[in-house]
Amino acid sequence: MFKRSDESLINKALDGDERAWHQLVSRYQSMLYHYGLRLMGNPDDARDLLQDVLMVLCRNLAQFRGDSSFKTWLFGIANYRAMDMLRKRKPTQDIDDSPDLFNDDEPSQEARLHGQQTQKIVQQQLKYLPADQRLVVELRFYQQFTFDEIADQLAISSNTVKSRFYAALDKLRTQLEVAHVEQSANF
Amino acid sequence: MLNNQQIFEAWLAGKLTTAECEQQLQSDTEWYGRFLTAQQLQRHAKSPTFTAVPDIDTSQMFRQQWGGRRTKTAWWPKLSVGMSAMALIFSISPLQLQLEDGALALRWNQNNSVQQQQQLTTMLASFQQEQQQYLQQQLLNQQQQQATQLVLLKDYMTENEQKARRGDMIELVEYLNQQRQSDWQYWQDNVQPTQARLDYNSSYQPNRTKTGVNKP
Repeated sequence: MFKRSDESLINKALDGDERAWHQLVSRYQSMLYHYGLRLMGNPDDARDLLQDVLMVLCRNLAQFRGDSSFKTWLFGIANYRAMDMLRKRKPTQDIDDSPDLFNDDEPSQEARLHGQQTQKIVQQQLKYLPADQRLVVELRFYQQFTFDEIADQLAISSNTVKSRFYAALDKLRTQLEVAHVEQSANF
Repeated sequence: MLNNQQIFEAWLAGKLTTAECEQQLQSDTEWYGRFLTAQQLQRHAKSPTFTAVPDIDTSQMFRQQWGGRRTKTAWWPKLSVGMSAMALIFSISPLQLQLEDGALALRWNQNNSVQQQQQLTTMLASFQQEQQQYLQQQLLNQQQQQATQLVLLKDYMTENEQKARRGDMIELVEYLNQQRQSDWQYWQDNVQPTQARLDYNSSYQPNRTKTGVNKP
């Protein structure tokens, strides 16, 4: 099936074509929600972030000039809103209160496999990274943006992005080692 | 020569394979650790997520922001379809557009089929004439060729006949010679001894030759 480009859908949506707007939203909705889940750490905040980003997108759709890809532009908005929400978050809110993205209620055998456990540990440890580092890791690994694209989105230099990225990797490495040791001790 | 950061970033960008990167970073604990952590993150990023996306009323958002706008439709696809349809009608119908003496004339030519029939008749007549000429020429060529072949055949037969006659004559001569030889042999074997005996008994031997052989 012929797939319309993002630019074409935007133009149609700007002309009042609601179907084009829905098509555009459905293309990025899931991506944005999971981004929010990983970054914010809980479904409610992720939902709020998604709604907020879509509202901003709808309002500012005409401002997309095509200087970068639509995804880059959209995640630029998402990053800004996410950082804003993280800053406004109550300082007393303990990060451990946020639920895991992996559903513990499913007692499947696969969940007991080592690989699944490792994935769960990675997910948990990501929450303990500072927000700016978590964001860079999210954009680099989960959204597959290059360092330069991330620098453009966050309006910082590429070297700063790399510095945050490597700091995140170092911290995560230590956290993962500790988590693995604790897990082994529990067994 | 790449340093470890460049090697790591090349791997991240997909320019180096995991095995190559691992081999080159193994000696550096810091970079190798980063590489392993990055691999874990990559695996996590690639693992599927099954969390349901909440339903958000984006239609309301859209209508509030852009709903007032009337959908504009592009005019050129319609024009294109219209022009195509017109071209189709022109080609099917007997409508003719002709430029004569600087004047552009649009005609509804209904005699088109009669003209076509006349053209067809003329072309058929011309074709028939060409075919007849060709057949006549072919016939003439055939006759000439046949005459030549007959002459050649006659010569061949005459020559063969002469050869056969000569052969027959030779055979006849040979036959006659053989007959004569045979007669002479018969005479020598049967007649001559009798003659000799008769001659020997008679006192008068007028035809005796020096060799003692009598000619018949």
